[in-house]
Amino acid sequence: MKEFLPCVWAFLACVPFGAVMNLHGKNLYLCSLGGAIGWFFYILSSPINNDILQYFIATVVISIYAEIMARILKIPVTGLLLVALLPMVPGGGIYYTMEYCVIGNDAMFIETGLHTLGIAGALAMGILFVSSFVRLLGKIYNDKSKF
Amino acid sequence: MNYDELVTLTTDVGCLLLANGAEIYRVEESMLRIFRAYGVYTGEVFAIPTCINVTVVTPQGKPITLIRRLPTRSTDLDKVEKGNDLCRRICRDKPDFKTIRRELEEIKHRPVYSLGFQILAFAMVSFSFTLFYGGDFSDAICSMFCGAAIKIVCYNMNKFDTNAFIVNIIASFAAGLIAMTAAYINMSLNPDKIIIGALMNLVPGIAITSFMRDMIDGDLMAGIIRFMESLLVATAIAIGAGFALTATRAVLGV
Repeated sequence: MKEFLPCVWAFLACVPFGAVMNLHGKNLYLCSLGGAIGWFFYILSSPINNDILQYFIATVVISIYAEIMARILKIPVTGLLLVALLPMVPGGGIYYTMEYCVIGNDAMFIETGLHTLGIAGALAMGILFVSSFVRLLGKIYNDKSKF
Repeated sequence: MNYDELVTLTTDVGCLLLANGAEIYRVEESMLRIFRAYGVYTGEVFAIPTCINVTVVTPQGKPITLIRRLPTRSTDLDKVEKGNDLCRRICRDKPDFKTIRRELEEIKHRPVYSLGFQILAFAMVSFSFTLFYGGDFSDAICSMFCGAAIKIVCYNMNKFDTNAFIVNIIASFAAGLIAMTAAYINMSLNPDKIIIGALMNLVPGIAITSFMRDMIDGDLMAGIIRFMESLLVATAIAIGAGFALTATRAVLGV
């Protein structure tokens, strides 16, 4: 059970972050829940042993969650994504890249830097994948509720 | 109908959405819908994150153009939501311009959280992310101060209209400095976990998310602008924290 504790921290981190962006009440908690769900799937997919792929899976799950919740709560998808994707953003990667740069370890600097870029790419691809698919479904079923 | 007023008002609605973090697609589509609701089918809108250009052609064949620059942008999802509602209502009920103007002012003056609350929120984000990245409780408590310092620095720097690059450098420098000093005083702290937790407040998650969505919608210019923005923010964070690490290592020998 202990390995799932970060999901709780992810949720607790998303709540004040969403509050700064002026989300209120039910919306705030449901957006933040997306962050926890994403990290839950990240840990769940850990047998893959490839964290870029894990980030991709988690992002896809969050995006699907955001698309569904946006239609239920009638709020823009972007808002949900902004808050729920925060735990996925490679803050640690940016920091360690900088640290290797500062201490002059060039090999690790390049490696960590590329890895961080890879994670950012995985996030972008996950969002792209789901939004494009939803657009496609919308076109097929002529869904006018894009707003 | 007063076309000048229509263009100005629609642009105001668009600006409200764009300045508070809506996607380009939403801004352009909302404005076009408002034009259509008032029977103008010749409206053209071009928006990028820093600017909106609008042109409509009146039935007499006279074009009316308006360009509006947006010097500052922030993220206020509450205003986006309310602006969106307003658009839908305009398209459905076609109210007169005075009513729209009044509602627009109401949305602009909707309450935001006080500075004190925001400082506390930044501290809580830092606290949770330090634990999230594997720090222990004493790291998290220390990180709260770094998070609060970030908000205080950002708030004071933004008063002078400083550019975002410098603001991020100084904010992340301040966070790094506090973390390294704390680690110097108490050797059992993990300065890396503290700094990462605090820096999550500044990390360009917003830019990464919206740049991809803008790209998919075909707004390549907007996508590239947001992509550059996220690169700049990430670089600024790294530079600021890097300065703090080097300086404290040189002076204190942490």
